[in-house]
Amino acid sequence: MGSAKNTGTAARKARIEEMRRAEQSRERRTRIVKIAASAVVVAGLVVGGVAVVHAQSGKKDSSASDSKNSASGHFVAGSDGVNTWKGTLGRTHVTSTVNYPMHPPVGGNHNPVWLNCNGDVYTKSVKDENAVHALEHGAVWVTYNKKASAADVKALTTKVKSTPYSLMSPYDSQKDPIMLSAWGHQRTVKSASDPAVNSFFEKFVQGSQTPEPGAACTGGLSQ
Amino acid sequence: MRSAALIAGAAATALVAAGAITYAVAEDGGGSSNSPAPTADSADAGFARDMAVHHQQAVEMSYIVRDRTKNVEVRRLAYDIAQTQANQRGMLLGWLDLWGLPKVSADPPMTWMGMGDMASGKDGALMPGMATNTELKKLNTLSGKPAEVLFLQLMTDHHKGGIHMAEGCVEKCRVGVEKRLAQGMVDAQQSEIQLMADMLKARGAKARS
Repeated sequence: MGSAKNTGTAARKARIEEMRRAEQSRERRTRIVKIAASAVVVAGLVVGGVAVVHAQSGKKDSSASDSKNSASGHFVAGSDGVNTWKGTLGRTHVTSTVNYPMHPPVGGNHNPVWLNCNGDVYTKSVKDENAVHALEHGAVWVTYNKKASAADVKALTTKVKSTPYSLMSPYDSQKDPIMLSAWGHQRTVKSASDPAVNSFFEKFVQGSQTPEPGAACTGGLSQ
Repeated sequence: MRSAALIAGAAATALVAAGAITYAVAEDGGGSSNSPAPTADSADAGFARDMAVHHQQAVEMSYIVRDRTKNVEVRRLAYDIAQTQANQRGMLLGWLDLWGLPKVSADPPMTWMGMGDMASGKDGALMPGMATNTELKKLNTLSGKPAEVLFLQLMTDHHKGGIHMAEGCVEKCRVGVEKRLAQGMVDAQQSEIQLMADMLKARGAKARS
């Protein structure tokens, strides 16, 4: 008697157990479907968002656009004489040559190896792709063409040599004799003693425009 | 009536507690939290600027010697110096950022401690104790024991110059946390000079000065 009753209870328990298990697995399935569905929705939103951003950044300015979104946009002149790049500046590491829309370049895709900028003065022209990487690390780049006076070049050499996170090189194709560049910013100065030199250095040597604060100016490429 | 009194009492207690907490928090800044951020010509800003540059060369030198020797003792010391000084440099630069101050100055280094004429600045040795570019290049050409000896000699000089500058901040800086970091540099680098003297002796050499 007792055993039959026990058997009945056990069977019922087993059936309940089985029903519960079935219920649980149904819930699990539903949950998986829900998670998968939301993942798809989120992924869709992300892809869509990126596509929109890309489409807009592409639309913004095609006049000065380089291939593969390296840099596009234009300079906006500031009242302080500093030109600021409006648009996009790529930050992808590439080993190929990059066509920059401004000279000297103030940003865009660049070579994986940065040009040493620990007060380094180069007397021969350097590769844009390496110099742009130095700008990304917070350096100010002093450049001059053949119209710059020897006295100015000498004074700027002294200035750069005593300033870590700056570098200097000749740049024949630039429009003015002496130009200063930082990531996203550029200006022309009249001479080495132009007070704008000091103010540009104070603002941009490891300044707030630096995309990678704390990155090194040593251990890279030296000419 | 009674409950109104209770509420008033509770409110008063809360106010007093809030006041006390505010006071305690304000005091915690070493009295500096109410003073304005340092200016570009202050000792606080000057030390942050100059020591960041001084430290960078120690980091660089340490990386060089780690490439030039397999000696575990020297490599560990170099690792310690590179890690420590890179971190401290980050703190100094971060404070300049917080204060909204430039990382460079048109004045010569150490002007803030009345020693703007201390270093010649020739060949990359911008401040006392710093190695010249020529010395760094030489370190880059040596290997093994000669590299270890030159590194220990250069770093001993570097620490001596660093300690001197850090003492300037201990004396003149007003920001408590910066003063403490400067004192920590003095203590740690003094002990490392002793360690390096022993390491030089074990290699049959000694400090240059």
